[in-house]
Amino acid sequence: MRSVIDVEGIAKVYGGSHGQRALDGVSFSVPKGSVFGFLGPNGAGKTTTIRILATVLDPTEGTVRIDGHDLREEPLAAKEEIGLMPDEVLFYPTLTGMQHLLYYASFYGIPRKDARARAKELLDQFTLADAADKKLKAYSHGMKKRLALAQCLLHDPQVLIMDEPANGLDPAGMRYFRDLIRWLNSQGKTVFLSSHMLSEVEQLCERVGIIDRGKIVAEDTIANLATRLATGAPTVLHVTASGISDVALQAVARIPGVAKVEPTPSGVDVSVEAGTDVSADVSKALVLAGAQLRELRAEQRSLEDLFLALTKGGAP
Amino acid sequence: MKLPAFLRGTPQVFRQELFASVKSVRFLIMALVSALVIVGGSYGISGLGGGFGPPPLVVWLHPIVDTNGDHIAVAWAADPFGAPVAQGTIVSFEDLNTSTTLGEVPTDSNGFARLNVGTAPVVAAMVRLGNIPAASITQWGSPPPVDFFFLVNQNDLDQDGGYDDLSMQVVDLTGAPVAGRVLLNATEVATLNPNTGFAWFSLPPGESNVTLEVAGEPPLSQTMYVGDSGGATFLSGPDFVLLIIATLSTLFISIFAITITFDSVSKERVQGTMDLLLSRPVSRTGVLLGKFLASFAAVAIPVTLVNLAGIGVISAASGKAPTGSFAAAFVGYSLLLIAFYVLLQLTMSTLAKTGGTAVLFGVLIWLLLNILYSIVTLVVASVFSGGDPATFFRIQQYAALGNPSAVVGNLISLSAPVDLGFFGGGTTLDAGLFAGAAVFWFVSLFLLALWTFQKKAAE
Repeated sequence: MRSVIDVEGIAKVYGGSHGQRALDGVSFSVPKGSVFGFLGPNGAGKTTTIRILATVLDPTEGTVRIDGHDLREEPLAAKEEIGLMPDEVLFYPTLTGMQHLLYYASFYGIPRKDARARAKELLDQFTLADAADKKLKAYSHGMKKRLALAQCLLHDPQVLIMDEPANGLDPAGMRYFRDLIRWLNSQGKTVFLSSHMLSEVEQLCERVGIIDRGKIVAEDTIANLATRLATGAPTVLHVTASGISDVALQAVARIPGVAKVEPTPSGVDVSVEAGTDVSADVSKALVLAGAQLRELRAEQRSLEDLFLALTKGGAP
Repeated sequence: MKLPAFLRGTPQVFRQELFASVKSVRFLIMALVSALVIVGGSYGISGLGGGFGPPPLVVWLHPIVDTNGDHIAVAWAADPFGAPVAQGTIVSFEDLNTSTTLGEVPTDSNGFARLNVGTAPVVAAMVRLGNIPAASITQWGSPPPVDFFFLVNQNDLDQDGGYDDLSMQVVDLTGAPVAGRVLLNATEVATLNPNTGFAWFSLPPGESNVTLEVAGEPPLSQTMYVGDSGGATFLSGPDFVLLIIATLSTLFISIFAITITFDSVSKERVQGTMDLLLSRPVSRTGVLLGKFLASFAAVAIPVTLVNLAGIGVISAASGKAPTGSFAAAFVGYSLLLIAFYVLLQLTMSTLAKTGGTAVLFGVLIWLLLNILYSIVTLVVASVFSGGDPATFFRIQQYAALGNPSAVVGNLISLSAPVDLGFFGGGTTLDAGLFAGAAVFWFVSLFLLALWTFQKKAAE
């Protein structure tokens, strides 16, 4: 599938050539019409990347193309294709919601009348119609989030760049945004989604990129990443059983492929070397040694495990 | 109409910023205060005429010789309009040749104090009221050609800015006040107060014949000339008022410009709207230009209106308009000063990470250009002049070119009528040099603001 965002080897150094290197050779691509999840611990370079994609920051090195437009060579054409929804926007406190949308629409050469109609349509769609003429200082956090989304859709961009769209919202608000992103994606929009909420990313995104300490440590579909991780990492079998004797534990420990055996209050945890399946041998050994086996469960690896494994435990 | 790429965003940012500025409370406050300072100041100072006014206390001293040949110093102390000081006010007499105090004499009910000073040839009489000292010197020489002594002061008693008021005091050969009258072109304009011998009157512009008639003496006539802008009225009223107002205005304009601009960029970053703005199809040059023009217009429009109103008030109050080229220079160069401060503050606002830092930068810029710069140049001139006063003077003169505020101040004072020059802070440098400095500063400050915005607006 054709990619709509192409990032090649971008680096960002703050504070001169000897300053802090926030990004270091970041490359990834986002297929057209997809929802791309962008994950990373705090300070990993997520927001810097987003601001570069949104043409707010210039990369120190590397190239970025939005729908084929190089940001350095054709910044204005690239800007026409993107809509940015930053994480935290307070907006102009003395302007109304409608005035904000008209102001931002004016940059795209949309005639005033059409801009007003479009703004009204978006305010209706995002349940802000009643607050259209209220100043922003009267808006709640959730209303500002919805306005932030409305302003980035004014010119009907192909690519939506969203930084933590559901951050700080209540469960209903989060669900509202999740549904909206699905709907926007169904309308053909490409969504670049940075989020702390891994479950949200898991539900919405086909592909993810994971950034850690300014470098991309993984970029693939979630399914492929899980498989890749599983082939290189040990699995744990959680066994629930009673009557596990020392003999039973020794029998399990002798099974080829078993790395470690740890008794637990409800039974035993068996760590198995990557790429081996010993669950049948483990259950047989336990039963033969007199244990009453109730359950044997292989641990499921979630996006969170992937994230923690790839970022050495950094908090998202 | 499609704008060139580098101007993309200018009209939109200009409209939004200007709209936000003129609706702000700070704009309203600054516009009101500027009206009060400029228009009110123009009215108030014009009401006084713009002159320095007369000295509040005057001592008149006559060299009388008594029948024994002794020198009698006759001092009369009064306010400039002839009201004597309170009885008992001490007049101190000093022999100026020996610097010795000859005596202290309390004044009588008409403000006179007399002392026999023996043969002292040059004597000073001094009076101090409150914190105002006044003194006069007299010298004994050949007797007067007429049988009375008269002293004349030329001053700006009516405070119309013209030093065209004559006050005189006349005593007879014994030092007693005389009665009499003053004729101006054969018309009586004043009579001498018989208790004090004092009178005052104003001279009209041009040539006048002033005649003093003292009872029993032949009239004494003299021709006097008062020019329109020179001579006695070298401080012509409205121009002088405008110069004072211009000095006030330049200080105030800088504060106005800083107040409107100080958070123009930093506020957008704090609000998070800078990212939204820069992600639009705009150029950074276009955004900065829009912000510059908006802040400039938000200050320039009220300041120009207020300046024009000030000139109008000066004209109305003093009955004469300031010199046209001076007034135009004042209005025009004020705009240049606004541009300087807006550009400087845009740079500072881009560098400031918070609103508080932006305010601090604004205050520091104002202090630097209006106070600290003079102190620093003083120190630099002292260090590099090596004790040579001429070098010290020249370093200070040229140092004005390094301060955009001083450049504008000097351009305004150089536009003033020549006879006002020495009140304008003064410079011996050529106006062309300041014009060149003004262009240099404008271009440099614009490029600095642009470069800073390009590099730091989003970081």
